[in-house]
Formats: sequence, structure tokens, C-alpha cells
Amino acid sequence: MEALETFVVESPVQSEGDAYKSIVADIITELVLGGSIGRIKVIVRPEESLYLMAVILRGSQPRVKVSDMASVDISNHLKKEITISVEQEKYLPELLEKLWAKYGRAKVYQPERKTLIMTAQDVDAEKKFLADMVVADPQSTLQSRLVEMAIRATPEGFRVRYHSMDGHRFVFAASEDILKPEWIQEARDLAEELMEGE
Amino acid sequence: MAAILEPYIYEGGVHQHTLITELLEDLGGYLIQKVPAATEVTLVMLIPRDDVHLIEALGTKLLGKLTRAPLTGTEIAVVSPTLASHHLPHSACDVAEFMRRGGANTNMIGLARGMGRRVSLSDNYERKLINEHDLAVFSFGTFSDCIKNKKPKLLEGVTIPKIVTGGPLDVKTEDVENADLYVGGVGRVAHRMRKSGELSALDILLENVVKVVEKMREDLAKDPLAVLPARVMKEIHEQIPEIFDVFSPAPVTLQLDGLRVKLPYEEFHEKVENLEFDEGVRLSDMADVTLSKMKNYILIKIKRESEVGFTA
Repeated sequence: MEALETFVVESPVQSEGDAYKSIVADIITELVLGGSIGRIKVIVRPEESLYLMAVILRGSQPRVKVSDMASVDISNHLKKEITISVEQEKYLPELLEKLWAKYGRAKVYQPERKTLIMTAQDVDAEKKFLADMVVADPQSTLQSRLVEMAIRATPEGFRVRYHSMDGHRFVFAASEDILKPEWIQEARDLAEELMEGE
Repeated sequence: MAAILEPYIYEGGVHQHTLITELLEDLGGYLIQKVPAATEVTLVMLIPRDDVHLIEALGTKLLGKLTRAPLTGTEIAVVSPTLASHHLPHSACDVAEFMRRGGANTNMIGLARGMGRRVSLSDNYERKLINEHDLAVFSFGTFSDCIKNKKPKLLEGVTIPKIVTGGPLDVKTEDVENADLYVGGVGRVAHRMRKSGELSALDILLENVVKVVEKMREDLAKDPLAVLPARVMKEIHEQIPEIFDVFSPAPVTLQLDGLRVKLPYEEFHEKVENLEFDEGVRLSDMADVTLSKMKNYILIKIKRESEVGFTA
């Protein structure tokens, strides 16, 4: 499944649906969900105060190791120094957190933004350990980001919500009135419809 | 008869900008607001109509830019249904930004329970706070059904001119009950408005707000105020030096028919009421000084000539 291969927002007035699509697209970008969502369909019916959304997630994203985002080298054998040169800065805060926890804040020397220098007794083993260290696990935060996205994308007054997460399927319904069972069924049917393309 | 004052914004370097303020003072104009930002300065001022070219010439010499700012001296409320991320910062803050470019002072007001359709409400306190302004711009979102049928109840009880913005372009002003004007193309967005279509929608909004304000000024001119708000501001600066210790960007905010003074009411309202004018009158003879709904500021609403019987 390609990222966002289906992205539909429907509304009784199509121009309003298109405007809403831009809102949903912005929120997906903001929460960095673009790569995780395969198909998404949203139905907004303001007359009924109803918002329905079904999302099919793509396969799990791989964990990010230090070697994926930076290069690890032994920079000085005599002083037993290991240098991490960061290439993808977006994971730098997570990496620093982990290094500080392991070595202590004073012992992680950062002469400039993208360079981190540590010392170790056994530099070769340490180098291998650092290269394999997991920095970020996108999967673990995915669910919370997905819920966040649903809440942000829904019109704010629609505070009666239903959501269910079943494997790769995320079904969401929201309204300002009591949710009718047929609405929830409609949302589930949306997800079914999206799955059919498999 | 006092000279007719024209509102202008000067943008230029800090270097020698005091020449402008001195010239303005000599000409009998008023400096409404001065915003220094590093080496740049923005001066919002009222210049006597016949002398605009003098300021313009000096400004050009100092490599600055003088532009007409028709909303100078107005305080505009930009009202969003709530303060949640659904409605702020985008679009509402962009609207406020464009109003400020026109010279207005803006206040963002997020209602406590304005969200939703059936459930949206406004509070008496909120309505009174909005009514303290000259004009209110409401943002009602993307859906025409909400704009026409559900959201207009937020306009009830608001007595100042109400301009409604929303996404759809085909909604007419008559469709929105109680609204004085509807402007489309400014709906809910989750990004900063910077595409050409979005910016031109904001330009159109600004144009329309200017028209409404010009109309209000005309109405005001038929029965003029007993004293110009700008003159009251000048007297406050001269007679209440504590105003210079206020850190707000606009310690004295001008309105079309009054001022908001950002000093505590209990401590200062008597001083404000007793402001003396050269003609031998006090401010309390010409205006109502009340406690503002905003913090504990002082709100001055100036009476009309017909009520007071003279103009200062």
C-alpha cells in the first residue's frame, strides 16, 4: 500500500469538503502521519452534526537506530574517543536523552550542533553498541498521534466520540449529540470499503 | 475648528526617528503608538491633513516609508469560537495581523463555549467585553450550514458592528442573521495563510472593514465627540506620568469614541476623571469613565457634542 493512496473527504457541499481536506492534510503533516497512513476517508455532514473517519494504516515503520540517522566513528584511538556525526537532526533530542542517561550530561561533549563526542574504555565494543542503539520507535507513538489527529481534525464542538483500533483499521465517529448506532456502523463500513482494495 | 487629522503609519530606522515625532508635535499631530523592533521603528500617528507632505518629505529623507493606515485609532475584537487549536492560531491571528497592518489595535477574544452547533453559547460577560470595542470580526468556519443556521446566535447581544468571516464564498450577508457584513474565503485552516488566494481574501476583508469604519466615522462626524480621543491621550501622557511605567504595547488604546487606559481602575480613575483641559473643563464633564471588562483597566467613552453642549 502506498502512503496516502486514497485520501477522500466528502461533504454535502463538495467545495466545503475540499476545504476540509486541506485541514486534514495539514494536521497529517503536522503530526508526521503521512508515511503511516495508507488510506483515509472522511465524511462530514454538518446538518447532522456528524463527523466520520476511517483510516487504514500501512505496515509498521521500522525502528530508527543510531546508524540510520548518524555515522559513528572512532575519532581518536589514544584518547579513546567516539564521535557521532548526526545526519538527520530530527532525532537529535531523543539521541541526546539516551546518551545523557547512559554517560551523564557532562560526559557527552557537543562541540557543535551535529557532533557528539564520548569516551569509552573499549572503543570498538562501544562503537558497535552505539550504532545499534534504538533512538526512536515510530510505532509506539503512532496510536497516540492517530487519536490526536482525530481530535484535531474533528470540529471542536463534536465532543461525543467513538473510536476503535483493530490491527491496521482505525474507525472514528464524532458528533455533538448522542451517537446513533447506524453512524458507527457507517464508519465501520467506510473502513470495510477502504480495505476492499487489498 | 480643529484641523482634520489623517491616519498614517511610518516604518523606518530608529536612527533620527525622533525628528519625525518632533515635527509631528510641532504640526499638532498625535503619536498614537510607537513600536521599536531592534533597529526598526513603527510609528502610528495622526497627521493634520495639510501637513502630510512635510512628514512624508522628512520620512523619505530618512529612508522610511509613510503609508495611510485607515484603521488607526480603532480597537477591533477578533472573536474566535474558542481558544483551542481548532480555531487558533491560524486564520484568526492572520485576520488580526491584517487589521493591525491597517493601523488598528486588535484584541483576540476566545469564547468559553462558542464551539459546536447546537451547543454553542456566548456569555453575558463576553458580550459586554466585545461591546467595549469599535467593531468585532467573528470567524465562523468552513460550513455554510453552520454559518447560516447555527453560529449567528453568537452575534446576539453584540451591539457594535459585526463582521462575519467564513470559508464559503457564496454565502450572502442577508443569510447571516444579525451580521452587518459577511466576507468569505477566510475559513478554518490549519496552516498560516500565505497562499495568494488566502492573502487576497484577507485583503478583501481589510477593505471591507475599512469601509465599515469609514461609515462609522461619517456617522460620528454628524454629531462629533466632545473631545478627540487622541487629545485625551495626549493629556493622559502629560498629566498621569505613571502611564509610562505600563508595559503593554499600547498603554492607551484609542477607539473611535473613546479610549482604554491600561492602568488599575481603583487607583487611577479619579486622576483620569479629573484630567484638565486648556478650556477649563475636566474629562468627567465630557466622558464616562468606567471599569473595563478587560482586567481592571479604565474605559473612557466620550460623550457627543449634542449631549455636552460644547467641544473642547
